[in-house]
Amino acid sequence: MSTARTGSRRAGGWTPWLYLAPALIVLGGLLVYPLYQLGLISFLEYTQAQVSGGEPTSFQGLANYAALFGDGQFWQVLLATVLFAAACVLGTLAVGCALALLLTRIRALPRLALMLAGLGAWATPAVTGSTVWMFLFDPDLGPVNKVLVRLGLTGFQDYSWTYGRYSAFALVLLEVVWCSFPFVMVTVYAGIRAVPGEVLEAAELDGASQWRVWRSVLAPMLRPILVVVTIQSVIWDFKVFTQIYVMTGGGGIAGQNLVLNVYAYQKAFASSQYSLGSAIGVVMLLILLAVTLGYLRLLRRQGEEL
Amino acid sequence: MRLSARIAAAATALVLAGPAVTACAPATSGAGATADAKTGTLRVWLFQEVDNAPKEKVVQQAVSAFTASHKGVKVTVDYIPVETRAPRIKAAFNDPASAPDVIEYGNTDTAGYVKDGGLADVSREFTAWQDAKDTDPAAKESVTVDGKIYGAPLFVGVRALYYRTDVFRDLGIAVPTTQAELVAAAKRIRAARPELYGLAVGGAYTYGALPFIWAAGGELAAKKDGTYTAAIDSARARQGIAAYTGLFGDDNCPAAKCARMGGNDTVTAFASGKAAMAIGGDFNHQAVEAGAVRGKYAVVPLPGLGKGEIAPAFAGGNNIGVLKSTTHRTLAVDLMKELAGKKTQRGLFDAMGFLPTYGDVRAEAAARKPYAAPFVKTLEAGAKFVPATPGWGTIDASLVLPTMFQEIVSGRKDVGAAAGAAARKMDEAFRK
Amino acid sequence: MSGVRATADRAGTRRAPGRFLPRRPWRLAAEAGALLIAAAVAFPLYWMVLSAFKPAGEVQSTRPLPWTLDPSLDAFRRVFQQQDFGRYFLNSLFVAGVVVVVSALIAFLAATAVTRFRFRFRTTLLVMFLVAQMVPVEALTIPLFFLLRDVGTAVPGIGLNTLGALILPHLAFSLPFAIWMLRGFVRAVPAAVEEAAAIDGASRARFLWQILFPLVFPGLVATSVFSFISTWNDFLFAKSFIISATENSTLPMALLVFFKPDENDWGGIMAASTVMTIPVLVFFVLVQRRLVSGLGGAVKD
Repeated sequence: MSTARTGSRRAGGWTPWLYLAPALIVLGGLLVYPLYQLGLISFLEYTQAQVSGGEPTSFQGLANYAALFGDGQFWQVLLATVLFAAACVLGTLAVGCALALLLTRIRALPRLALMLAGLGAWATPAVTGSTVWMFLFDPDLGPVNKVLVRLGLTGFQDYSWTYGRYSAFALVLLEVVWCSFPFVMVTVYAGIRAVPGEVLEAAELDGASQWRVWRSVLAPMLRPILVVVTIQSVIWDFKVFTQIYVMTGGGGIAGQNLVLNVYAYQKAFASSQYSLGSAIGVVMLLILLAVTLGYLRLLRRQGEEL
Repeated sequence: MRLSARIAAAATALVLAGPAVTACAPATSGAGATADAKTGTLRVWLFQEVDNAPKEKVVQQAVSAFTASHKGVKVTVDYIPVETRAPRIKAAFNDPASAPDVIEYGNTDTAGYVKDGGLADVSREFTAWQDAKDTDPAAKESVTVDGKIYGAPLFVGVRALYYRTDVFRDLGIAVPTTQAELVAAAKRIRAARPELYGLAVGGAYTYGALPFIWAAGGELAAKKDGTYTAAIDSARARQGIAAYTGLFGDDNCPAAKCARMGGNDTVTAFASGKAAMAIGGDFNHQAVEAGAVRGKYAVVPLPGLGKGEIAPAFAGGNNIGVLKSTTHRTLAVDLMKELAGKKTQRGLFDAMGFLPTYGDVRAEAAARKPYAAPFVKTLEAGAKFVPATPGWGTIDASLVLPTMFQEIVSGRKDVGAAAGAAARKMDEAFRK
Repeated sequence: MSGVRATADRAGTRRAPGRFLPRRPWRLAAEAGALLIAAAVAFPLYWMVLSAFKPAGEVQSTRPLPWTLDPSLDAFRRVFQQQDFGRYFLNSLFVAGVVVVVSALIAFLAATAVTRFRFRFRTTLLVMFLVAQMVPVEALTIPLFFLLRDVGTAVPGIGLNTLGALILPHLAFSLPFAIWMLRGFVRAVPAAVEEAAAIDGASRARFLWQILFPLVFPGLVATSVFSFISTWNDFLFAKSFIISATENSTLPMALLVFFKPDENDWGGIMAASTVMTIPVLVFFVLVQRRLVSGLGGAVKD
């Protein structure tokens, strides 16, 4: 598939750069330049006093990074972030793909219902979504526990979801999946719709199971789309902020549910230590970059091109 | 002045451009202004309340009085959501062009804003001001940093004990007058009415916990030679921490639910009829009135250790300050006095229920509206304030105290270890 | 799957979606399942709207009911009575509208460049577009603040306190993703179309705007959904860059009013959120068809 496509690409001299110019100007000015400043700040002592001109800035070398790496909590938070993000990505992709398959097998009305419900979840502001989920799962005032108890699961009487580390993460995971699966579902559904019917019919006539059809027919054909949704999910879920901040009260009991972005906020932005915050930002950027480049390289080895 | 600021910024940039590493250094802002114009427009930022119209009316009266006595002066008032105050006020410090002349700010932010170089020192004017003679000492402390005064208190907020009159009557419990009675009452209620929390407490409810530490004679930090050292791990403070964290458990407020609660959650639990007692503020009065317990509760000062003692409450509230970058300093200070003066505070209490910061105005207010009486009494007994240092902002934002309470409550650490760890983090913040 | 067929297919009528529906009992079970899931997914939304209509004391009570016998418009009244609420709404609409249109156009050009041409640094650029999305936005607001402050003094209309201060950063943050998404759509247009156009003597500009653009349009609609939502729901830039000019605030400011330390107004929060979510849902319903057919284009080649 990919070799045929390359043929259509021409060496266009200056034309591609002309087309790229507006994008490059906007991104260069508003992303690359601030990003450069971010890197620079991470090497300075830069608190509110420096910002408002009260004290001069001073070059600190790697001191901010040393302070960061020397803090045992940072490593713990980093590990939690990676695992939590991975769980969110897997959950989002699994739910999104499964529901996309389901969408192809039902008639217009239930399909519209599921689609609208998903789009509604997607459209809700993160602050509100998190708050509503907290309401629903509140041990005293939420309906979820009451329903579970009525269903005979008496263990959920007064059960507090946010007390245990894992149950708190699980609750936030549910919310994150809730608000991000629609993107995957809609995109993958659109992808399946575009797959020629004969291919699927042939597979079904062969008596292949649903899982087989997905594994050996659909997934390979949908690969470009799956690559995009995976990379996007990784990027978004690694940077989860609002959900953790709102649902666990700024990082959970004694900080047990901290993830990097919240940790950075508490460490740095809330108390105006911008240099430390910038250092954490740079570290996050580098980790994301490593993950994504690794993933792209893996794809390329499998014959997929960018 | 804008020009001079620009030149100053350019000069700073040039100086910074010296070493190669800072070839394109991140920006900084110029220092304070020098001009003091006697006419022109004054810009004011006040916090926007959920029901803002009554506040606007009182402020409008104060502004009219001010412009009537100051010819050629215009005042524009903007109301900003409290939630956005941090980025906005910092932005105002960083961009004098967008900065107002006078701001309302939360009193725990005072020291941080002073360190940021944003607030003007108004010690001279404040001391000479007639109204200020009656200012409550705790409120005055909340505008004071290193002996200098950086604004005028606008109102105070304190917390007291909300309790369910019906539950107390049914179980034959007397209103507690000591901390021991309070704890006993809480446990008795929980035993008799397991669906209720005795006293709703929260692991993230710092301002609800502080009275216990202060009542035991503990302090957050001690000031010596102008620097603060954490005192949260002193024997007395630990005794207070133990008293507070002892309230978490199945016999009062189960840790699984209460460890993560903040002030808001405990008040909600009380308002919805889930708790027999809670530590709530005068500012929570309306929310409780709107809840399920309306007409079934009363408020008394939170008892201290000995009989008849009142546990020192945290003196929250807001202040009015003048920005250092103002080009109308004299006018701005006059406006500050008008906005935080006795007349305006009286109006704000009637309109919004904000407790006045002047002893005499407050006594008069409590006589007019009985619900305010227990809060006024708490204030009269002596409220306390958090350490007036920018380090406190860091400690607050990085959740040092909630983490400490939660570590103890969830059984991760004992009181000594958790308090020791908190003290270390506090000292680190004080040093910066 | 030759390209010509794919395009013809996209341009013409689509296949009936029900074409490989499973046999009846299974289909009914699947549909029942789908409806159940839809109900579960929509439940938090329902709860949000419900809480907005509940009277003050009922929003959080020990007996949470999935209905209210005493619906009240008080919370909505608190939302709409805010000073300048209508203005905030129009500002939000304007900012989101400009970002959607401009980012679609810029991204279309950029996506064309990276998919239909070969040139040096092409892959590097693509990776750069990815990297651009990885930056934690919170960290970047600090340098952006100073940038906008300084630029604003030179060029009026895009400095702090203007709507430009919201439009530009949102544009920058939505572009990389839009380019990545659009790549697939542009690539799906077969080379044969371009060659045919060249043979007909169409200029490059004509091919770009009169042939390629309409073919990619569904894809543009699909990507615009993303920039619309992220711009519409943004709190961070709204509260960081609009400092003194409250008349240039956007909708999230009307929501933030209800958050206060120790005394959140839950009814107001839910009502304001409902008001904020509705326009997005309307936008979704309007573009729903195109969204699906559009996103599908990214797979074909």
